[in-house]
Amino acid sequence: MSVAFKSGIDDAVVEELRAIIGDDGRVLPNMSSRVNRTRVPAPFPVHRWGEYMPDVVILPRTAEEVSEVVGLANRLRIPVVPRAGGTGLSDGAVALRGGILVDVKLMNLIHEIDLVDRTVTVGPGINMLKLNEELKRHGVFYPDDPASYPCSLVGGRIGTGGWSLIGGRFGHTRENVVSLQVVLPTGEIVRIGEGGGRKLRKSSTGFNLKQLFTGHQGTLGICTEATLELAPRPEVEFAAFFAFEDYRTAWETTGDLTRSGLATLAGVVLFDEWKIAYLRRDDEAYIPQPASVKAVVAVAMYGTRAEVEPASKVVMKLGRGRGGRYLGDEISAGDWASRHDRYATPLHGRSKDGQAVMMSWHCEDAALNYSVLPQVREEWHAIVAGFREEYGIFDDWGMFAYTNGPYKPWGDYLVEIDVGIWEQRLNDENWDAWVRCKRDISLVTLKYGGSITACHGATREGDAELVPAEMGSSWEVVKRIKRALDPNNIMNPGKQSLDQAYEDGGVA
Amino acid sequence: MSVFRLGDQVPPDPKRITDAVVMRFDHVYEVDPALMELTGQQDVPAWDTKRIVDSRWDHLDWMHDHFADEVLLAGEGSETMPEEDAMPSEERSGVREGPSDPGMPGVEEPAVDRPDVRE
Repeated sequence: MSVAFKSGIDDAVVEELRAIIGDDGRVLPNMSSRVNRTRVPAPFPVHRWGEYMPDVVILPRTAEEVSEVVGLANRLRIPVVPRAGGTGLSDGAVALRGGILVDVKLMNLIHEIDLVDRTVTVGPGINMLKLNEELKRHGVFYPDDPASYPCSLVGGRIGTGGWSLIGGRFGHTRENVVSLQVVLPTGEIVRIGEGGGRKLRKSSTGFNLKQLFTGHQGTLGICTEATLELAPRPEVEFAAFFAFEDYRTAWETTGDLTRSGLATLAGVVLFDEWKIAYLRRDDEAYIPQPASVKAVVAVAMYGTRAEVEPASKVVMKLGRGRGGRYLGDEISAGDWASRHDRYATPLHGRSKDGQAVMMSWHCEDAALNYSVLPQVREEWHAIVAGFREEYGIFDDWGMFAYTNGPYKPWGDYLVEIDVGIWEQRLNDENWDAWVRCKRDISLVTLKYGGSITACHGATREGDAELVPAEMGSSWEVVKRIKRALDPNNIMNPGKQSLDQAYEDGGVA
Repeated sequence: MSVFRLGDQVPPDPKRITDAVVMRFDHVYEVDPALMELTGQQDVPAWDTKRIVDSRWDHLDWMHDHFADEVLLAGEGSETMPEEDAMPSEERSGVREGPSDPGMPGVEEPAVDRPDVRE
């Protein structure tokens, strides 16, 4: 069958796009507009930049414009890639097959703030920080808080099914989208929510499509409007960091804290020995720490003073229960505040001889159960050490484990191993080594019953080819859904192994 | 009134903190210049270092204010570091005159179209 595998864009198509958009400044076939929207912060084969450039960029303002553009693409079998902030740590917003890149940054309006039914309706191009500046005056906030908080956009968060630092208390992106408007791959505009409701949080009518349309990585459509949750603005924040002399005790204390039943517990983070060693190179909070500090557990709570103040006493007791030592108010408050904005961190690592070199950042984002964290940690570090030794362009920046369950922070974790990659040294051989390293890490995740991605999306080499294995018996269902909604495979083709849905015999 | 003197802007000689880190100003750490041979560095005058450090503190304060009305502290110092190595907040350099978040007292709001609000 005919599917959109190659770009079919020529001057005639650009003219059709201009007829739809009606503004030359928002149809951009020029080189700089395309180059600037080619990669995201994830490791990228910079030596093959041109292979990943879209053919034309458009900046729509309305759902109707998006609908007409997608309809055109579907008619002509042209790939379409949606892009919001372009801050993803996987390749969801990277055009693998050229085509039309739909940049939603101009769809950035707040359409309505409903303080009665507690929702805010926005365009996908608005940033959470800017949104919350507006909401603050009303005593409410939109509680989605990624490490890219100052620069990522609502549309990208919905596209990736994002994870939030404070998700243990407030839920993650999925839980905070009440309903959304979506342009389907065939160009229709549909409203997706709980049953038929735009501002309802629970319904049993029909299928629960909202889950399907939050986290598909732009493979099932483009979000053009979202109605989001409004939470009461917290009266107080409390953060406490505890140091440990060994990882195991820190891991056990993490379990104690997450099982505490404290409703205001927003997140618990476990730093391992490699992460502490990495922070000792550059981070003001960790450089002066004594050598006995081998692991750290961080806790954060948000809510009313009436709840958080007594709960903070429980946290201090649990944090010290197995010998943890408090890092002090200054580090606890300051380091927690810095967690909202990790993209401000200059990225540099160390070559094998210890020299500081500029590196890009791979952030593994597996979802894993609490019980397997110690074993996974050992195996992941061994993999990265082997590749570092052989190729010299990788650097192990240590591991974090963050509470992962929305509202239920006790059972599973977003588990990172951060790996620096010396991009200036990338060539085909080194890039291939990186993809193998990435795949080996993911295979460990699958071996321990985890998911290869908790939030970034399985859209990069080293992940995408493992999606069928992870999905197992449900993979056939996934392929049928993709083919039914996107009959010509125009939406973000090449991602998550979904091309298999279009291969001969690809759908049983 | 402070007077700019070029000679005052030359950073002091570094003091070694660890095998990979040096310090020229109290609590302001730098990667050992011997490890920066592959990544060129520019000379940074003292005022610029202080500006960067102050901006960082301002940013963190802004983030606290952005997410909650008040930061609750345990009210305890570090149990891992000797007192002289911990960094009390009053030692932060520079002037920190308050929040810059729109909507905060004392900050003039820009004229913008406000969204519809249902109350």
